[in-house]
Parts: sequence; structure tokens; C-alpha cells
Amino acid sequence: MQEPVTISEFTREVKLHFEAKFNFVNVIGEISNFKHHSSGHFYFTLKDDKAQVSANMWSSKNQLLRFTPSNGMKVIVKGRVTVYESKGTYQIDVFEMQPAGEGELQVAFEKLKQKLFAEGMFDVIHKKPLPDFPERVGIITSETGAALQDFIRVTNKRYPLVKLYLFNASMQGRGAAQSISSSIKKANKFFASDQSSLDLIILARGGGSIEDLWCFNEEIVAREIFRSGLPVVSAVGHEIDFTISDFVADLRAPTPSAAAEMIFPDILELKKRLNVYAEDLKGITGEKFNRVKKILNNISTNYYFNKPMDILNEYKLRIDDIDKGISDCLKSKLLKLKARLDSNEKLLNSLGPEMVLKRGYTIITKKDKIINSKKLLKDRDKVGITFFDGDVEAVIKDEGTNYKIDF
Amino acid sequence: MKNKKDTAVNEENISFERSFKRLEEILVKLENDIEDYSLEEIIKHYQEGLKLLKICRSKLSEAELVIEKISTEQDN
Repeated sequence: MQEPVTISEFTREVKLHFEAKFNFVNVIGEISNFKHHSSGHFYFTLKDDKAQVSANMWSSKNQLLRFTPSNGMKVIVKGRVTVYESKGTYQIDVFEMQPAGEGELQVAFEKLKQKLFAEGMFDVIHKKPLPDFPERVGIITSETGAALQDFIRVTNKRYPLVKLYLFNASMQGRGAAQSISSSIKKANKFFASDQSSLDLIILARGGGSIEDLWCFNEEIVAREIFRSGLPVVSAVGHEIDFTISDFVADLRAPTPSAAAEMIFPDILELKKRLNVYAEDLKGITGEKFNRVKKILNNISTNYYFNKPMDILNEYKLRIDDIDKGISDCLKSKLLKLKARLDSNEKLLNSLGPEMVLKRGYTIITKKDKIINSKKLLKDRDKVGITFFDGDVEAVIKDEGTNYKIDF
Repeated sequence: MKNKKDTAVNEENISFERSFKRLEEILVKLENDIEDYSLEEIIKHYQEGLKLLKICRSKLSEAELVIEKISTEQDN
């Protein structure tokens, strides 16, 4: 009978044997009880229908994974057995993990798809419309990837008016899902220098295996796309590759370059349309003006429009007639007056002294008074004698009954 | 005739989208309602249309793609 050993000693013995015996294991099993600890480590259980074993995968190792393990997924893991002495438990310390087959990822894909579909996350009513002329576009992609170059090439040719904002994210492997969803969040909060937000977001990634594209099949990415206030275009993979992102996104483009063609108008097409618009603008207004001109012409030559002119002309004629009548009448009146004036003048002339004087009579005045009687004169009176051609002065000499006039 | 959307654009800083859509709007109005407009209004629309055409064309011919990189935690 051996001496009893302490638990510590016993467990140390077990640990040494176990870990030496199982320093490399390669097992297949289904994941359950999966926990992604905040430290980055994975803790889970691997099981089949009869047995189970605890497992862990440290963050230094699980960062290289191309997918996020989830409960129910069948995986093949490579690792070693470790014994946790203080609890007397053993577990598999996993170095490598792979889906047990493409079929496994396909199952996970279908499961998530069904779940999100049931939640209504793919419903058309949630699809946001895309702007006709995007001005600011956020592109979430790897800055070193071909997807970015493809997208830029097509955009530059098609619609260089746009401003692209590049959010560099890892597009493959573990951590990609986290990187993509935080970029979506960031793009939603982004404001350009003029304080305007982005018009839409594009997730761009070139083609690859289902594992390469797995991050676009992860729930956190899907939920972040769904939560995005900005329209999201999923341009992932190559033509036939469908991901959960494609279903949740507001638009699915088969490739990144196709995305550029789908979201941007073609500058050549726009130039052509502007030419058409220029013609239309001139055509429509020109036609209207020609029509108005024609109408104006019609009106101005129209009989009824010109009738007032006729009436006016008629009045004009009548006024002229009246005018003539008035002047004729005045003329004859004037002539008559003139004739009367003429005869009066003659009469006046015949009544006046001039003609009498011419015949030899004179007028004698004394102190400017006409002397028409001998009685008005006496000797030595100074008198004026007016002849038809002038006046002379004279003095009266009284010699009895007759006056003798001395000049 | 006048509604709220029928506001002529004046800013020089107008976006391509706004000038292009405003141009289309003017064309539709002219096409459909030209008989309702006074000649003065038609001339006003015509002149605005010409101005928008000029803006659109110069924006298209001067366009140059700009790419700005936004820093993310990936860069650290």
C-alpha cells in the first residue's frame, strides 16, 4: 500500500501524463455554450451526441480565424489538452479551427438568413432610396484592396463630381466583422468639412471563398447595416456570391465596379441630356413666342381690329369738310366787310376837307378854331390858312366892310 | 400659379443635383403650363433655364474626383 499523496501531487501527476499524451489532438465536434470573453478569448464546449469537452481558444490564436464560431456549428479543431489544476478539469487548448465542411458555413448562413428574414430585416419597406446624384459617398473597404481601385476607376470615368470618403477596414478574417460594423457606425456619424453628412455608404470587397467573405455573413454586420440611417450598398464578392449583407443592404451590387455603375449617373449621358434640355428650352419658348407673334399679326391686320381706324378716318374727313365750310363762310363775310370798308373810305374821303381844299378852298383858323364867319374876325387878327398842301400864317387888315388879308 | 417649390435659384454654390433638377422642373412647367404664363414669366423661366444649363455644364466639365481618407481604428 502506497502512502497517500496530496491532491496537488496527484493532479500534477495527471497533468504531466495527460498533457504529454495529448499534446496534439485533432477532433471534430459541434460548438455549444460559446462565449466570446471581453478579453478576446473564446470559451466553448465541443460535443457530439454522447460526450463533451471544454475548449478555449486564446485571442492570439482566434484573431486568425476567418469566421466567428457560433453555437451549433460543426468544426474541426487542432490543439492540445491542458489540465487546470486548481479545478481538476481538463480542456482542449485550440490552435486552429475550421468549419467541418463548406456545408457547415452554408448551414450557419441559412440559419442566420432565416432568423433575420423572420425579423423582417430584409423587407422592402426598410429599403432606403438612393440619391439620384450622390455628392458624398463613404466607401468601407480595405485601402490596399483591388475593390477600392476598381470602384475608383469606374467612378472617375462615370461621375467625377462625387467626393469619396474612404473608411479603411479589414475585409477578411476574424475582426473584420467588428471592423466593418464600427466603420458603418462611424460613417453614419461622419460630417464633411461643410457639416453635411454622407449620402450613402458602400461596403466594397472583391471576390473570395465563402470563408473569405464570411464577415459579411455575420450578425453584427447585418444588424449594423440595418441600423444605418444612411443607405447602404453591399458590393461584396463576385457576381454569384450572395452574403447576408446583400439581403439587408438597401442595394446589392454584384461587384464593386458594378456598384459604381449602379449608384452614379453617367456623365456622358448627363451631357447628352443637357443638350436635349437646351434644345427643349429654346424650342418650347421659341415656339410660344412665334405663336404670339403670329397672333399679334393676325389681330393687327384683322378687319374688326382696323374698323376703329376707319371710323376715325371718316370723322377726320367730316372735320375737314366742316373746317372748309367754316373757312368759306368766313371768307365771304370778310370780303363783304372789306367792300363795306372800301366804300366807307371813299365816302369819308369825299366828306373830308382834303378834296375841297384841292378844289381851291382854304380853311382859316384863329387860335386853332375854324373861322366860318366874317364876324369872328377883326383888324390885326392873326389867322392860319390851311391849303390842301400846307398851312400859312396871315394878318387881317380891316378896310371897311372887307377884310384885306396881309400875309 | 405660384407654389412653394417654384422658387428660382440664385446661389452660386448650388449643387449639381439642385441645378439639374430645377432645370428639369422648369422644362416640365414650360411644357405643361406655358399657356398659363405671361410672356414676362416665360422669359424669366427661359433665362433661369439658361443660367442653370451653364451651371450644370460647367460643373460637369470641371469635375475632378476627390478621395479623402477618414481615419479609423484600423490605421492604428
